[in-house]
Amino acid sequence: MDPVVIALWILRLAFLALLYLFLAAVVRVLLRDLRAAAREPATVLGRLVVVASPGDPPVGTALPADAVTTIGRDVNNTIVLDDPFVTGEHAVLTFRGRAWFVEDLQSTNGTFLNGEPVDGVAAAAFGDELTIGGVRLRLERPGR
Amino acid sequence: MSAAPPVGRLRRGIWAYVRPRPRWRELGLLVVVGCALFVGSLSLGATLAVRAAILATGGPPASLDGLATPAGADLLAVYLGALLAAHLALVLAGRRTDQVLLPTVGLLGGLSLLLMERLPQDLAGALGGLARTQLVWLVLGIGALVAVGVAVRNDTWLRRYKYTWAAVGIGLLLLTFVLGREVNGQRLTLAIGPISGQPTELLKVILVIFLAGYLSENRSLLVEQSTRLGPLRLPPLPYLAPMVAMWAIALGIVVVQRDLGAALLLFAVFLLLLYVATARWSYVVMGLAAFVVGGGVLYAAFRHVRTRIDIWLDPFSQAHDAGYQVVQALHAFARGGILGTGLGGGLPTVGGGLPGGIPEVHTDFPFAALGEELGLIGVLAVLGLYLVLIERGLRIAASAVDEFRAILAAGLSLVVGVQACIIAAGNLKLVPLTGITLPFVSYGGSSILANGLIVGLLLALSDRGVEAPPPPAPRARRGLRR
Repeated sequence: MDPVVIALWILRLAFLALLYLFLAAVVRVLLRDLRAAAREPATVLGRLVVVASPGDPPVGTALPADAVTTIGRDVNNTIVLDDPFVTGEHAVLTFRGRAWFVEDLQSTNGTFLNGEPVDGVAAAAFGDELTIGGVRLRLERPGR
Repeated sequence: MSAAPPVGRLRRGIWAYVRPRPRWRELGLLVVVGCALFVGSLSLGATLAVRAAILATGGPPASLDGLATPAGADLLAVYLGALLAAHLALVLAGRRTDQVLLPTVGLLGGLSLLLMERLPQDLAGALGGLARTQLVWLVLGIGALVAVGVAVRNDTWLRRYKYTWAAVGIGLLLLTFVLGREVNGQRLTLAIGPISGQPTELLKVILVIFLAGYLSENRSLLVEQSTRLGPLRLPPLPYLAPMVAMWAIALGIVVVQRDLGAALLLFAVFLLLLYVATARWSYVVMGLAAFVVGGGVLYAAFRHVRTRIDIWLDPFSQAHDAGYQVVQALHAFARGGILGTGLGGGLPTVGGGLPGGIPEVHTDFPFAALGEELGLIGVLAVLGLYLVLIERGLRIAASAVDEFRAILAAGLSLVVGVQACIIAAGNLKLVPLTGITLPFVSYGGSSILANGLIVGLLLALSDRGVEAPPPPAPRARRGLRR
């Protein structure tokens, strides 16, 4: 066969092969990334990040939020906030169907969602901020 | 010995942002991109040399001398240099951002550069030919990508002013309706003074930003479905208004701008984001039904819509007339076969308006040109690259900290992916042909800049160390209290 034709074929196929080499390299990176993500526990529905706190849960702590998360000073709560302005059973955060709800359990000092007092039940969303006693918690997606 | 000055004093102004952090994966992928593009350029150069020899002497050259000349090596060197500079800028900025996006975009842009070098240089371009002009746009697009990816560290200005963004978008659209210039029967181009561009490209970015803001704020209400309409369950009526507006805008674009592609793109992205935010199929089904009904009415009422659809259904009946482009594109795919004819090996008249070529190949039909010269294999690789962009975007969305960022990231990547799908399917006669661009591959400044902006925003959103979003302002809301 003509060496020119063979050279052209080799170049063409090499170009196509390199395109796929790139794709394969990218897919390797993506798979590694997905596996790393799969290793992390994914059962959490959301998390509450401490934005401001007078003491016990230090600022920056991420607390997992379940379908029913009770918040208060009592040790039986899911999230225990050791602050004198927090009532024993202060509030409960629930995930029902596709949305979050905050309920104030008739606490002494009230529960605030984005600065507004929660009267009974209020719908919450990721990015919202809860104020309970002197503690401010932000509801975040469980991602990453 | 001199004592090192304290870090706080050393890092002033711009230097405060320089925190080098290596990005080995990105560099490795960029090396593969460089190799691939160099081999592609060699292949193109050799094919063109052989073709010239056949034209001059009537037969292929007997020896391999003079074949090893990469085509457009200077342009390619500039392009690869720009990619490397982009990589260095990202390394110096030191943000923990995604490392796959830049190489993927780089490979798509490189394919575009090779394609533009191969097409007749007098097709378009003010700066000394098609390839040179495209190179300028590509470098500017990558510049926009890196600038946004490095500089955007805060999304408050995006989420807080969503209605301002919507107003800007609608204003842009109305401006195009009124002042737009008609090209090929479509009113796409807006020219104000010396600046001209296609506002649709910017509009899609604005739409995604607005929808991300709107849907993240009203998501829980849209999920509620309190209104009933026969067997259908609808969200509360006031929250349906934007959807109806969106539908009207899409149809308005078809009527006034005669731009099927933009309408299809904006509406598809809208429905996809609605699904992403609410996870309800019923909205998608309703939206599709409304679009089909609207489309049917337009088909009956407007001639330009009817022409488009008829060409799509049977281009061969008007193969020398209105269906010419589509027929030529199908022939190009057929000539390409599985392995393609090789870069530069397609019909000599690809583009240029000569018989046998595809008119507007550089803007509307780059996918067909790639199909001819790289074959099924190459076209699948190109689609794979878009798939990678979508995967990265959805992955960034899945790991975002709040709804706004999640919907924004999903929307940004889907807008690129959907656009690629619409124009690729149009080239293949799977859907009616539309005049939108293949992202990063088609010739044209607006498209490359807007898509660079989009990927830059994705890059910024992928930062794992980005500061937390500000707490939402107290809202007077939303009827859900009991």
